[in-house]
Amino acid sequence: MQEIRAKVLSCEPLAAGLIRIILHAPEIAAQAKAGQFIHMLVPDHAHVLRRPISLMAFDKEAGTLTLAIQPKGSGTQIICAMKPGDEITCLGPLGTGFDGAGAQTIYFVGGGVGVAPICGAMDAYATETSHAFFGFRGAQYAYGMTQAPCAVSAVSDDGTLGEKALVTKPLLEKIGEKRPDLIMACGPTPMLAAVQKIALEQGIPCQLSLEERMGCAIGACLGCNVKIVAEDGSWTYQRVCKDGPVFDAKVVDMHG
Amino acid sequence: MADLSLNLCGVHLKNPIIAASGTFGFGREYDELYGISALGGISVKGLCLGGRMGNPPSRLTETPSGMLNCVGLQNPGIESFIEHDLPWLLTKDVAVIANFFGTSIDTYCQAAEAFAPTGVHMLEMNISCPNVHDGGVAFGVKPESVYEITKAVKQHAKQPLIVKLTPNVSDITENALAAQEAGADAISLINTLTGIAVDVHRRKMILSNNTGGLSGPAVRPVALRMVWQCAKKVSIPIIGLGGIESGEDAAAFMLCGAQAVQVGTANFTDPFACPRIARELGEYCDAQGVANAQEIVGTLKSY
Repeated sequence: MQEIRAKVLSCEPLAAGLIRIILHAPEIAAQAKAGQFIHMLVPDHAHVLRRPISLMAFDKEAGTLTLAIQPKGSGTQIICAMKPGDEITCLGPLGTGFDGAGAQTIYFVGGGVGVAPICGAMDAYATETSHAFFGFRGAQYAYGMTQAPCAVSAVSDDGTLGEKALVTKPLLEKIGEKRPDLIMACGPTPMLAAVQKIALEQGIPCQLSLEERMGCAIGACLGCNVKIVAEDGSWTYQRVCKDGPVFDAKVVDMHG
Repeated sequence: MADLSLNLCGVHLKNPIIAASGTFGFGREYDELYGISALGGISVKGLCLGGRMGNPPSRLTETPSGMLNCVGLQNPGIESFIEHDLPWLLTKDVAVIANFFGTSIDTYCQAAEAFAPTGVHMLEMNISCPNVHDGGVAFGVKPESVYEITKAVKQHAKQPLIVKLTPNVSDITENALAAQEAGADAISLINTLTGIAVDVHRRKMILSNNTGGLSGPAVRPVALRMVWQCAKKVSIPIIGLGGIESGEDAAAFMLCGAQAVQVGTANFTDPFACPRIARELGEYCDAQGVANAQEIVGTLKSY
């Protein structure tokens, strides 16, 4: 974990409503793991909370980080309006990240902006027998498929890309053909809840990457806590920023 | 370089910058970024006997020049803190302020007493959290109840007792005076201002508790006004807080009458805020030709 001034190398549209930013941040890239995130200071003086952004890719040799950001609110709009050569203050890498050690076949599941950290997970852990399942609102929102290190099946809400279906449909079909050793997922809460249900019902190990509004992002303020359930039914709150953002699907209460 | 040190209720602080409760945990996470011994003090995450789960997500959201939170006093309990965190914290050269709360006068007194045999340097009694229904603010609104609980807890408190005041009252100076009359050694103000945030697209409240506490630079003018008003009424030390982001902000609170200040939300904007503010306060004093930062306390020229 380090605080640095990262230089913007590029800041361009990646898909509809999504901007890809490449940062020169060698200190963070050197320590990065798939599924981790950085905490970005909005480069103005009005936003008191930083923005937690997942790593879509990182290159330790080139010292770069690739991010996909939705310019939805005023803070992310300012970040996405940066130009090459600009600098932005970032703390990272933060959080636990995915762990694919020992898994021969991994199914990757991503929805919308949640595809970005899944791309990082695929770079790190995809094998020949692995398969990715991406869900987008429509074809114009799609990204992350052309250079994927394993096969990708994409679906969309409007049918303009692949089948008009939820991402769980091709996932279930593929599980019927071949059970994976592990599932990794990131996306909207209803998608994560559906993937969690499938994984638990079929007894497949599964890692979910969660998103919450964050304060400190280093584990001090407890602002991003989510409900974590133990086997005996007891529960606690754990920190998405420090104990996560990747959690075992067995322990996450997606409705808490 | 100006001398920033002070004696606060008999406790030596190397500078008047204190990390505010709830934003800094027990100091461990920030100590991974910089040596927390750089601070004058740390007011730890609010503690109660037996601990507390806190509120469900979502617990915080950004607002214009500020933020709202409803964490709801999640903490592992005074017992756990004393066993697992305090010994580590006491190895750091920093004043440890135990922020605590209860749900009744009895549990407040028991909480204060639990710290008596420990090395904690000061106590900060939270009677002003707006985010839990049974946890404190009920005691912090009316001057009579501020007096009653301060008087009772003071008898069980071995360390100097700071009473943290809520701004969600019609006249905060009445509560400051009540705390002083009941024997408080110092007061800290302000806790957060109650607010709400609305998701208009979902037509739904953003925070799980509906209401939350507003902090950050948005509240600074209100906090400065309240510190200034209280400083004219009480003689016990005042610890000022509310949206401090820079050394000059800290100086503004001290000019209004605060001996020391707390830094909360700014830790999120800049995790290095506390040591930076201490350095900037020193630079401010040097530029003003002030040898000891305490010389500026209460020297604000007003109309």
